Amino acid sequence: MMPSFASARATVRRGRVITLLALAGLAAVYVLALDYTPVELHQGLAQKIFYLHVPAAWTALLIFSLMGVVSIVYLWLHDERLDLFAEASAEVGLVFSAVMLTTGPIWAKPIWGTWWQWDPRLTLTLFLFFLYVGYTALRASIHDPLERGRFSAVVAILGMLLVPFIHLSVYLFRTLHPKPVVLKPSAPSLPPEMLRTLLIAFVVCLLLYLGLVMMRYGTGVAERLREAGGEAGEVADAG
Amino acid sequence: MPVETPANGGYMTAAYIVAAVIYVTYALRLWLRSRRVAGD
Repeated sequence: MMPSFASARATVRRGRVITLLALAGLAAVYVLALDYTPVELHQGLAQKIFYLHVPAAWTALLIFSLMGVVSIVYLWLHDERLDLFAEASAEVGLVFSAVMLTTGPIWAKPIWGTWWQWDPRLTLTLFLFFLYVGYTALRASIHDPLERGRFSAVVAILGMLLVPFIHLSVYLFRTLHPKPVVLKPSAPSLPPEMLRTLLIAFVVCLLLYLGLVMMRYGTGVAERLREAGGEAGEVADAG
Repeated sequence: MPVETPANGGYMTAAYIVAAVIYVTYALRLWLRSRRVAGD
């Protein structure tokens, strides 16, 4: 069942407030990273890219996993809201992936001496990014909503299967990419200031995801209702 | 022998600017799109 135009509008408004809060939080993360965390002895200031790159990567992988789960439920229930939520999440997930894929090479250049290495972790992450670009392109090319929902759900589920490989790739293959310092079987191996800042940055990324996805979802619902001529009915109801 | 910390602050600045530009540009673009579609 589709939400009403008024409720889509309310979702957009709430999303805007949360996005503004999250962007303010992001500014606070910048201040924390620059002022509060220590400078790493061997990597210098470039190490502080970690507070942007890692939370963006975690959020992107979390979003793509969530999309996979939502898509499974969509194939089962055929609820249009789940399809619209997956669509909104894909777009926002691409934004976090873009941050991950740009900040990573900027860190790699001074530390590894090269912008990019075709190593398993980096290559798989790039594949995942292209998969979701493909997901968005697929959605744009199919006009029938039922067919679009079904096909894109299958792609999202296949994309979700890549996520554990990406996380485990640093253990499964020989790779230049650093091993996890937090999401590992033993306790996090970071000084407390670094760990605190990293976790705060992750919470801010989650909040930003929530705000952006609410704005995108509400906009998607409003667009769908406009296409179906639902807005006229809603306006008439409101009057 | 003491370890000398590398001077690579320019890369950090570049990454922070790039990330802010990506997040803010998308948020702004979405804001404008939602205004056009959902009114307000």
